[in-house]
Amino acid sequence: MPTYNLYMGCSVPANYPNYEISMLKVAEALGIDLVYMEGVGCCGSPNLRAIDYFGWLLVNARTLAIAEKSGHDVVTPCNGCFGSLKDVHHFLLHNSEYRTRVNEELNSEGLEFTGRVRPRHFIEVLYTDIGIDAIREKVTRPLDGVGIAIHYGCHLLRPADVTEFDPAILDELVRVTGATVVEYPLWKQCCGATVLPVNEALAVRLARDKLKSIKEAGASFITVVCPACGNQLDLQQLGLKTSYGEVYDLPVLLYPQILALAMGMSEDEIGLEMNRVPAQPILEHLTG
Amino acid sequence: MSEAGEHSTTPVTLVDPIDISTLDPHFRNEIRSMPNGDDLYACFACTTCTAACPIACQWTYKPHQLIRMILLGMRNEVLSSKEIWECLTCFQCQERCPQGVRVTDIIFDCKNLAAEEGLVPENILGLGRQLLESGQLYQVTADWEREDLGLEPEVPGLDPEPMKAILHGTRTGRLVGGGD
Repeated sequence: MPTYNLYMGCSVPANYPNYEISMLKVAEALGIDLVYMEGVGCCGSPNLRAIDYFGWLLVNARTLAIAEKSGHDVVTPCNGCFGSLKDVHHFLLHNSEYRTRVNEELNSEGLEFTGRVRPRHFIEVLYTDIGIDAIREKVTRPLDGVGIAIHYGCHLLRPADVTEFDPAILDELVRVTGATVVEYPLWKQCCGATVLPVNEALAVRLARDKLKSIKEAGASFITVVCPACGNQLDLQQLGLKTSYGEVYDLPVLLYPQILALAMGMSEDEIGLEMNRVPAQPILEHLTG
Repeated sequence: MSEAGEHSTTPVTLVDPIDISTLDPHFRNEIRSMPNGDDLYACFACTTCTAACPIACQWTYKPHQLIRMILLGMRNEVLSSKEIWECLTCFQCQERCPQGVRVTDIIFDCKNLAAEEGLVPENILGLGRQLLESGQLYQVTADWEREDLGLEPEVPGLDPEPMKAILHGTRTGRLVGGGD
């Protein structure tokens, strides 16, 4: 059974326990051993990177250095954590001056960053280490005919030389559930979550652009692999009813929820009632 | 005829001239020495970054202009601009740059320089304060929700103390934690 260092970050456990539980259930069913990392916390997010680059390097290098003690790769369900860890890993591997400075600081805890463990997104582990064929064998209740639009999230895809993530991975993971991937023009576009603290109106407008593009393409659902993107696309739909008078009715599901449903798990097991836009249509399809 | 008359005394300028005495010739090297700023000079102002940016349409300074302003030495204008803080960090500009200029990374560098001078929007400073004081951006408040799902009420392995300790010794501490 492959074993990984599970790095949760702060947003998923605080805001999206439904993401956490569905990931754990799917992992268990597929024989993936996720071990919660000891003594770690938040990645700091792009906000910390913006005001305190060195602090952000230290926090994330420390997480990677702790993982190096067991030698297992670091797995996270959050694009924000993934982006931070990948960027710091890439930067320190290619910059010996900063690596030395960072290790001087980590030394006080007896830690060292060498870069030998990789930060990875949970869905990339599903695809690479478990594989589409093994996942297909577990699909007992295929989501035939359901049109799903994928919102990948910026920090999963870019910068590509740092994240090394191929968007086709998520396409294939959605298709193996029996669902159809609905293409839409703004598939690469940002959800707007990062600009919320400085310009909320702009953030809402970006979410709206995205939702309009998805709705017009004819999708029934959206899938995301990031708590910040999920929050933005799900929660803003409630706000858009009042601010723009627009109703999108696009349920936003975290990818492991979709896979779990296709694997026959119940909506209660994966906390589907916590998703703000009701996912009723998908359930009617499954029971009908 | 009347048209010529209207414009005879006041010259029409489409671009405000730059006062050379306000430029900082060291700014470009300052950015170049920062993380991922190396290829700054490769910019040939093709504006691909601006075409890729989803929000440039509502900015006074477009991404390619910010890069040009850095090269020209318009340090004050760049570091006090709202644009560097509204950057979505979506990396579309950087991804499409044909010259390999790491535009988004360079905007992060600008924000760090602005922060060093205390030019940080209040809400971002608030997030810095939160990280310094609680060691996390989000804290579990509804632990019953976690328990309902069969999760541990407290996140296994979580320790916010190391981040607090780290940030007390770095710029975050100086920015928000300072003397108190």
